[in-house]
Amino acid sequence: MKAKSKWRWGVNRWIVLLFIILGVFGAQYFPPIQPHIQVAPENISAQPLFTLPVIGSFYMTNTMVAIIISYILVLILGFSIKQALSKGDLIPKGITGAIEMVVEALYNMTESTAGKWAGTIFPYFMTIFLVVLTANWLELLPGVDSIGKIEESVHGTPLLVLIPGVLAAVVKGTGEAVQESGYLIVPYVRAASTDLNFTVALALISVVMTQVIGIKAQGFGYFSKFFNTRTLFTAPFFGAMDLMVSLLELISEFSKILSFAFRLFGNVFAGMVLLFLVGTMVPVFAQSFVVLFEVFIGLIQAIVFGMLTMIFMAQATKGHGEHEEEHTA
Amino acid sequence: MTGDIVEAAKFIGAGLSMIGALGGGIGIGLSVHGALGGMARNPDTYGNLLTNMILGIAFSEAIAIYCLVIAFLMLFVL
Repeated sequence: MKAKSKWRWGVNRWIVLLFIILGVFGAQYFPPIQPHIQVAPENISAQPLFTLPVIGSFYMTNTMVAIIISYILVLILGFSIKQALSKGDLIPKGITGAIEMVVEALYNMTESTAGKWAGTIFPYFMTIFLVVLTANWLELLPGVDSIGKIEESVHGTPLLVLIPGVLAAVVKGTGEAVQESGYLIVPYVRAASTDLNFTVALALISVVMTQVIGIKAQGFGYFSKFFNTRTLFTAPFFGAMDLMVSLLELISEFSKILSFAFRLFGNVFAGMVLLFLVGTMVPVFAQSFVVLFEVFIGLIQAIVFGMLTMIFMAQATKGHGEHEEEHTA
Repeated sequence: MTGDIVEAAKFIGAGLSMIGALGGGIGIGLSVHGALGGMARNPDTYGNLLTNMILGIAFSEAIAIYCLVIAFLMLFVL
């Protein structure tokens, strides 16, 4: 262990102090402006990519770029782990060790909930977890949401041209009367989970695959969860009540789609708005605390999305009257 | 309705809809209360309780986030 270079305590704090001082000077000469926030993702391609007859034209949106980047990251992770595993080490090192720890913890959780269906359910859990995690954490890199193309708009502020034709910055207006045209920045990359298309699609996949796994486990008797006519003729009053309860279960399946989608969307969109506003109001160092909070929230939301999917799938495999024996710990 | 009244109504509506986050705050407080009580009585189950507490917090927070989504709908979309 003597070959490690000596790590001195004092280095990192001076680097942080340097960045804070640079931030103070930067905020003095380039005061931050509040970016234009909207729920719908913005188009960054001038022409539509393709046009379908009924639905309309599809542009390349900035959240699509983020989704592509996060998928590429997850694929690179997968390939690098496959590479490391094919070498045949018994104890993997580096990123493979970290992923093995995470996979083992989540697989134990899946097994204790789902029992013998863990092999079918676990891929959905892990994939949703990894995709949502990279999509949430991508928002925190510098350059995302701040580098983009300049567009003219009435809401905008004046332009400061640094390199003509190539680089420009949008600066604070002087607060005089309404200018004819200001400029705003449309970011090239925006966090993928702030796009309702992404979250609703993931929620639909979750809920539909839950039904599919339920049918695989129980056959078409699975639908007796929603139309419970088993006790309707033997004990009429209780049978009717059971029927009402099962119809409510059907409605709650649809509300699960909305709940999944809006939980993820609300958390990440609120985080993005908070980052913008805190970065505008206190330009120096305060946004770092919000970034730290966002790291935590992104992780928790990914875990919750995956874990809820896993729990609903495990519940779908269990029949109405059977109670299987619990795992002894 | 002139533009100013609509603008003012948007802000008032967004503020009113955030009153619902009160329920989320109380819910999170109750679940952490239960988890801390359990951890104090039985420190061996710390990991188990922590995991379930985080899960419970995410659920109550989701309800408060639904109120936030309505507020955002009023401010940034309509």
